[in-house]
Amino acid sequence: MLWKDKYNIGVDLIDRQHKELFDRVGSFMKTLRSPDHWEEKVEKVNETLAFMQEYVVVHFRDEEKYQQELGYPGLAEHRKVHAQLIRDVNEFSRQYQAEGYREELVQQFGGRLLAWLINHVAATDLKIAEYARSKEGAAQ
Amino acid sequence: MSKSYYDSFFNATGDVFKLLLDLEVTRAGEHAADEELQNGVQIQIGVTGDLTGAITYRFPKQTTLEIVRIMSGMDFNELDAFVTSALGEVANIISGNAMTMLSEQQLTCDILPPRVALDEAKAGHTAHVVESTLLQTAVGPLELEVALEPAV
Repeated sequence: MLWKDKYNIGVDLIDRQHKELFDRVGSFMKTLRSPDHWEEKVEKVNETLAFMQEYVVVHFRDEEKYQQELGYPGLAEHRKVHAQLIRDVNEFSRQYQAEGYREELVQQFGGRLLAWLINHVAATDLKIAEYARSKEGAAQ
Repeated sequence: MSKSYYDSFFNATGDVFKLLLDLEVTRAGEHAADEELQNGVQIQIGVTGDLTGAITYRFPKQTTLEIVRIMSGMDFNELDAFVTSALGEVANIISGNAMTMLSEQQLTCDILPPRVALDEAKAGHTAHVVESTLLQTAVGPLELEVALEPAV
């Protein structure tokens, strides 16, 4: 289980989506790291990879919408970070397909994604929560 | 070398380890004994801009495997592509955070993609001034080497 309660930002929709995203990354990693031979698991790896990729786009869209509604001053920078990850994922997918679903490539991608995701949610997204709390405090 | 270059990377390492791994990082000594870092992973990140040179992170095998186990909740036995790539991204995040700290000292720098190597002799670099320190964590040691100097 990748999720930790300390990643909660206190916004129900975003927290639910983060948990879902961690679940999907967890399923992808579990399949990727299973002891089966690559030929036996490549199809399942590709399915869980696609399932996770779809959700990244949905989540980023909803999270940016929330930041816009909140008037979050870091939105433009946050959008750039999301856009960069989507570009990286698309570039990885293109290369992975072009090279015939080579295992080493997807193992590298999985490791990088794991560290990226934890840092993004634990560091970058928590700043949104801090801003929302400071705004609530100022309004009281 | 201005001590503050090194401090930015040390502080960023402490922050990222705390945030991602719930681990404290302390300074254990000026230099790491080679045998402590054998059979491990070396990640070098080049720096360009107002400062030039490279940052090198050296992790023994056991430290590496524990770090990735903490992040993933899964056990790992070998330094394979998944493990070294995850560690490379951790080093990338630390270095990126250090760049932000340096920018607060009006130093504008960029980092290059991590170069990961297994069990190699210490990599060379062109910077003349190097500060290297052994750091300690609850899952084992690592070495942080900062080789930066002002761009000419």
